[in-house]
Amino acid sequence: MRIGVFVCQCGTNIAATVSTERVASAAMALRDVVHAESIQYTCSDPGQRTVIAAAHKYALDRVVIAACSPRMHETTFQRTMAQAGINPFMMEMVNIREHCSWIHSDMEVATEKAIDLVSMGVAKVRGQTPLFSSHVPVVGEVLIIGGGVAGIQAALDIADAGMPVTLVEKGPTIGGNMARLDKTFPTLDCSSCILTPRMVEVKHHENIRLMVNSEVEQVRGYIGNFEVDIRKKTTCVDEKKCTGCQICEQKCPSKAPDEFNAGVGETKAISIAFPQAVPLVAVLRKEHCRLFIKGKCGICKKVCPADAVDYEQEDELHTEKFGAIVVATGYELFDWRQAYPHYGGGLYPDVITSMQYERMLSASGPTGGRIQRPSDGAEPKEIVFLSCVGSRDESIGRPLCCKVGCMYIAKQAILTREHIPGSRTYVFYMDIRAGGKGYDEFCRRAQKEAGAVYLRGRVGKIYPRDGKLVVMGADTLVGENVEVEADLVVLATGIDAAAGAGSLAQKLNIPYDQYGFLSESHPKLRPVETTTGGIFLAGACQGSKDIPETVAQASAAAAKVIVLLSHDELETSPMIAEVNHMRCIGCFKCREVCPYHAIEEQGLRDGRRVAVVIESLCQGCGLCNVACPPSVISLRGYTDNQLIEEVTEVLR
Amino acid sequence: MIPLSETLSQGRELVVEIERRSGQKVADCYQCGTCSSTCAAADAFDYPPHVFMRLLQLGVVDRALTSTTGQLCYDCMTCSSRCPISIDVADVIETTKNIADEQGIRESERGLRLFRNLFLKNVRRHGRLHEASLLAWFNLKSGKLTNDMSLVPLILHRKKVRIIQPRIKNRAQVRRIFQRAKERPKW
Repeated sequence: MRIGVFVCQCGTNIAATVSTERVASAAMALRDVVHAESIQYTCSDPGQRTVIAAAHKYALDRVVIAACSPRMHETTFQRTMAQAGINPFMMEMVNIREHCSWIHSDMEVATEKAIDLVSMGVAKVRGQTPLFSSHVPVVGEVLIIGGGVAGIQAALDIADAGMPVTLVEKGPTIGGNMARLDKTFPTLDCSSCILTPRMVEVKHHENIRLMVNSEVEQVRGYIGNFEVDIRKKTTCVDEKKCTGCQICEQKCPSKAPDEFNAGVGETKAISIAFPQAVPLVAVLRKEHCRLFIKGKCGICKKVCPADAVDYEQEDELHTEKFGAIVVATGYELFDWRQAYPHYGGGLYPDVITSMQYERMLSASGPTGGRIQRPSDGAEPKEIVFLSCVGSRDESIGRPLCCKVGCMYIAKQAILTREHIPGSRTYVFYMDIRAGGKGYDEFCRRAQKEAGAVYLRGRVGKIYPRDGKLVVMGADTLVGENVEVEADLVVLATGIDAAAGAGSLAQKLNIPYDQYGFLSESHPKLRPVETTTGGIFLAGACQGSKDIPETVAQASAAAAKVIVLLSHDELETSPMIAEVNHMRCIGCFKCREVCPYHAIEEQGLRDGRRVAVVIESLCQGCGLCNVACPPSVISLRGYTDNQLIEEVTEVLR
Repeated sequence: MIPLSETLSQGRELVVEIERRSGQKVADCYQCGTCSSTCAAADAFDYPPHVFMRLLQLGVVDRALTSTTGQLCYDCMTCSSRCPISIDVADVIETTKNIADEQGIRESERGLRLFRNLFLKNVRRHGRLHEASLLAWFNLKSGKLTNDMSLVPLILHRKKVRIIQPRIKNRAQVRRIFQRAKERPKW
């Protein structure tokens, strides 16, 4: 055994507090160490060359590098080892920077500690065996969950790269929330005009399979090899036969709430969400259908010219294999009613949400683009917008900023001026957050050109008086209370992750935060990856976003997927758990604790059932290692013996 | 409490008039506060310049008209020159004050308007400020002849104010400045 020890000075980062020369000479005295030296910058090119030269000169078979955190440079030095002709895993990094020089000031003590740490590293590397990465094949298909603008963008990008995509959407049409918007800030271009061509593209793309009314039920497998159960819920309409003529909708006698229009107006139990829906197929909602409630009707089936209505239709369960998954489940508006009784809690019909207002602004909306008070249908003249309803409010446990509220209020204020000449809009805000390109100018435009009166302060109370709504607020710029007699109040409600995002995250085994937003792997450097390999995030499911950001993130996720699937095989880390089958008692405690579902049961020829590690799934966390009652699971690169050697060394 | 629905409707006409005369748009102001932080007299005002602008934005014109801001502002124009969106704040304040004068709104402190007029008259006459005569005229016109008289020996002794002071070279030119200012088509 020939071990080489290299002690990095890291300029003065280490050398100022630790005598690297002394550490090196102390290392020379350790058993099996044949060479030790101090290097100014080991990670630099000359530094690495010094290591390689020493490895050749002293015929080293194991190396200890005492430098910074392995998070920083482990891969660097593993590459150096490969260049030196040594198995990369025969190198042990000892952290004498973050764990020693940076946190101590006494040179004497710090040097002593560094010597201890190095001797532990030497003790550990003695027990090291060469490890080799294995390869797993990659399935070439991609699953995208959610058919909003994020899912659409990611699907088109990946499909254009020639990879087959399955786009799963929970609702009856793709388009998501963006399809419900009238105009988009800050350019005021028509939302559906820019979105619907993309939706149609999805429908006709040869590499995209669209599954609407479908939900992911179960996910098994791992990066490159996911197996997903998808439930296609019954809609009582045959997708292939329906022509979208809407005769059923016209004749249907059962009214139903209109979710697409955020509850403004009503629709029928069998209906198409909106004229540009993709696919343009009617959906029957059993909970509102007279036939399913009272047992008597069947009109839609009679009138359907395509014979597409089928009351017997049942859910279909598909099981498919995918190499990568993009989650793009989007957002929902926060339900403000419980949290804000002082705004009426939903009792005043003329206090509405911004999405309801948006649907009224839309020319293809339920009012045909006419803004009207829900209470009497009159055109409002004084309209008050309240920002941050359910945002930046710690008292209801929602300190987060919705990020888009300021902007869409400005947009709605500008559009209001166009829709109702002579109207006056008021905006109560806490801060105007308009950080995007052209955004601040847009908010100024709302004030200067559209005459919106911006008032800096939260509204304390709304109450009805003589057919109007009195909005009591404050203008902190003047330092006084203000009052508006409003005809209509629009609440810019905060943004929540889509309902069910949390349970989907559990199925996918990816982390999410207390608001249901899915967590990225690193907030800066891995913004579209999750901690589970092969699963990526796009759009507002990760946190509130506007359209440009969502599209950018979707394309980023698509790029990550394309990179992943451009390989036929994936290299896996060899530092994973290993079961000694001879001694396994088959208790499967390991399977219970494994967060990655990486343990499976296997029968041996002698009839024993033992645990087996699925190598491509195991992340090397070590939970099974400690849970195993007979201690027969070990972690490669961190075997029990190696750790005991380390501890023994430091206790010597 | 400011009843906004009311003030914005009722105050609108006057705000439009102020905007027309001053050539400024009050909605342009984004309330950064630079004008107030740069104003040497803001502490003496009831409303510092940015609040004054805010009152006009909210249509609270009655308070703007009776405010001491216009009466005490010494037109140094620093607010206007520092404004990041180049609003002539001083002009807005002065215009409002002029309208208040026209409407015969009483000044908050007696003599403010008198002092202002005497000051301008004095500069016009002498080409520069002749402090001794201004003080004398002010006491005479305000009817408080003995006001601050006890200070006279001290200020004369310390040469804070000179009775005889050199004249400027070209008084006619200063007069022309006044003439031009008067002729300038402001509204």
